[in-house]
Amino acid sequence: MTDRKPARTDADLRQTLAEFSVPSEPGNERLAMETVAEAVRDLDIRGENLERLKTAVAEATMNAMEHGNKYRSEVPVEVQVEVVDRDLMVRITDSGSGPPPAQAGDVPDLEAKLEGMQTARGWGLFLIKSMVDEMSITGDDGHHTIELVVHLGAEGGK
Amino acid sequence: MAVRHLSVEVRLEPGVAVLDLMGEINGFAEEALNAAYAEAEAKETNTILLNFEGVDYINSTGIALIVGLLARARASHRRLLACNLSEHYVEIFNITRLSDFMSVFPDEESAVVEASVS
Repeated sequence: MTDRKPARTDADLRQTLAEFSVPSEPGNERLAMETVAEAVRDLDIRGENLERLKTAVAEATMNAMEHGNKYRSEVPVEVQVEVVDRDLMVRITDSGSGPPPAQAGDVPDLEAKLEGMQTARGWGLFLIKSMVDEMSITGDDGHHTIELVVHLGAEGGK
Repeated sequence: MAVRHLSVEVRLEPGVAVLDLMGEINGFAEEALNAAYAEAEAKETNTILLNFEGVDYINSTGIALIVGLLARARASHRRLLACNLSEHYVEIFNITRLSDFMSVFPDEESAVVEASVS
């Protein structure tokens, strides 16, 4: 008779690297960005791939502080960093109400912005989608969460 | 983490007004950036060069500020150039298509040469 090893479960493949929060104050997206960069330092994310992740985290945190928490400093943005199987997942949660922001992330029309027909802003979601392998936004009555996914390994990152 | 507020020095090179940018280009940078750009316009050159050598962070609000400068340059028929962007921000200038409207150079010397021959 041989011992059978139990099947691996999701819990076996899931590793939390960091959980933290930042006050919703202008500029704190850099704190979130650098904290995530420190949390993933032992992973195979280097150079340009790390810069892309940092930009995505910074932009998602800015969106959460501005649109979700209305820059109320007493309302924190929660950040969770996990490795699940071969994916790095960063979840950024605010306390926004109402439907989550659209995630279409259309390419901004630079010509229209230069001609003054559109606001010069509106780059955040587009940048986030361009910087990571997957992005999704979920929400309920009191929270929005943006989830960033980077596939680890030789093909990891965009 | 303290924000490195943007400071800008404006100087005149042959045919080019150069803005030496130092710090972060984010929402806090609007006043300094616009004031420096106005000072550069007063130099009455056809070309204005943004030197990003001292910049280590640009966020989406900063991108919007640069779009605003580019719109001002186009309206006054000036050329806006950029130099000394890091590899990462060159990529961002490419995907946002900013680099379709403002030439990006690896260093100031090549940008000034380009400005002087065209």
